[in-house]
Amino acid sequence: MNYFDFFSLPRKLVLDVAVLEKQFYALSRKLHPDRFAAKPEAEQEAALAQSSLLNDAYRTLKDPILRTQYLLTLEGVELEEQSKAATDAARASGVEKKQIVPPELLEEVFELNMQLAEMKAAKQMGEDEPELRRDLMTAKDAFDARMVETQAELEQLWVAWDAGVDAGDDAGKARAKDAMVVLLNKRSYLRNLVRDVNEVLDGQAV
Amino acid sequence: MAYSDKVIDHYNNPRNVGQMDKTSGEVGTGLVGAPECGDVMRLQIRVNPETQVIEDAKFKTFGCGSAIASSSLATEWVKGKTVAEALEIKNTDIVKELALPPVKIHCSVLAEDAIRAAIGDWKKKNNVAETEGVAVAAL
Repeated sequence: MNYFDFFSLPRKLVLDVAVLEKQFYALSRKLHPDRFAAKPEAEQEAALAQSSLLNDAYRTLKDPILRTQYLLTLEGVELEEQSKAATDAARASGVEKKQIVPPELLEEVFELNMQLAEMKAAKQMGEDEPELRRDLMTAKDAFDARMVETQAELEQLWVAWDAGVDAGDDAGKARAKDAMVVLLNKRSYLRNLVRDVNEVLDGQAV
Repeated sequence: MAYSDKVIDHYNNPRNVGQMDKTSGEVGTGLVGAPECGDVMRLQIRVNPETQVIEDAKFKTFGCGSAIASSSLATEWVKGKTVAEALEIKNTDIVKELALPPVKIHCSVLAEDAIRAAIGDWKKKNNVAETEGVAVAAL
């Protein structure tokens, strides 16, 4: 049983987390071990298994990114497997593999990483200048802003996906699905950059 | 997670880190990414136009230890090989050499992609058909 089915939800992405939470607590109470203490062992075990599924389902569906990733997996997207298969195909045919991530984004991520590395190196040399810190803060603000943008874009794609589900529009669903894959990839890169900048900034505060 | 000794060695002493002139006709540049973990890898080769032997290779990778080790190893392996020979390097060879665990196989895929992308770039610059084996140097 998949997590959407578990909560009797359609396979859609716009989701009222408050409603989900209420359902989660209600089900948690229903499946609480105390209620099964006097029951036969088989029933206790079944309740435990349900309870564990409940927790996994809730944790996955309440988180916007995990929920999106989970849906994409249900829809047959397997990034790593697809990447490997594409490499195998490139090896067999000699035709260059198309990267999942747009080249211009890769260029940008690479450049930003280079800058970050330079800043780190300068810091290690003891050049802990206010200017450097300012550059990093600027970079951090820019990345944070783009993470927010990414979230907004993702929510738009949720709407597009849900509309496709409601209308039975497979082409529309496929478009939304592909766009979400690209967006989540982009987000992975941004998330790493934010993490790296924060690392350097935290190090400086010490 | 425990890295193998070979990964740690490449990570601590990466071979051939650096960059070459992207605009040179003898240089092929491959820039690839593994979105699963946000890694990005640049691998460059300099090809002897007479012999089609890869005389030098450089890389720069931002990512985990396995991604760095995979690209470091890739530069070591392509050096001295012809373009055709380099195209025969498989990601599974890298997995074996570095004893990469299953969760890090995508790092080796990335390194193979980088080699192929660099060679593809070089071929484009030198008007070699993408699918051509380039087994024998012209003339």
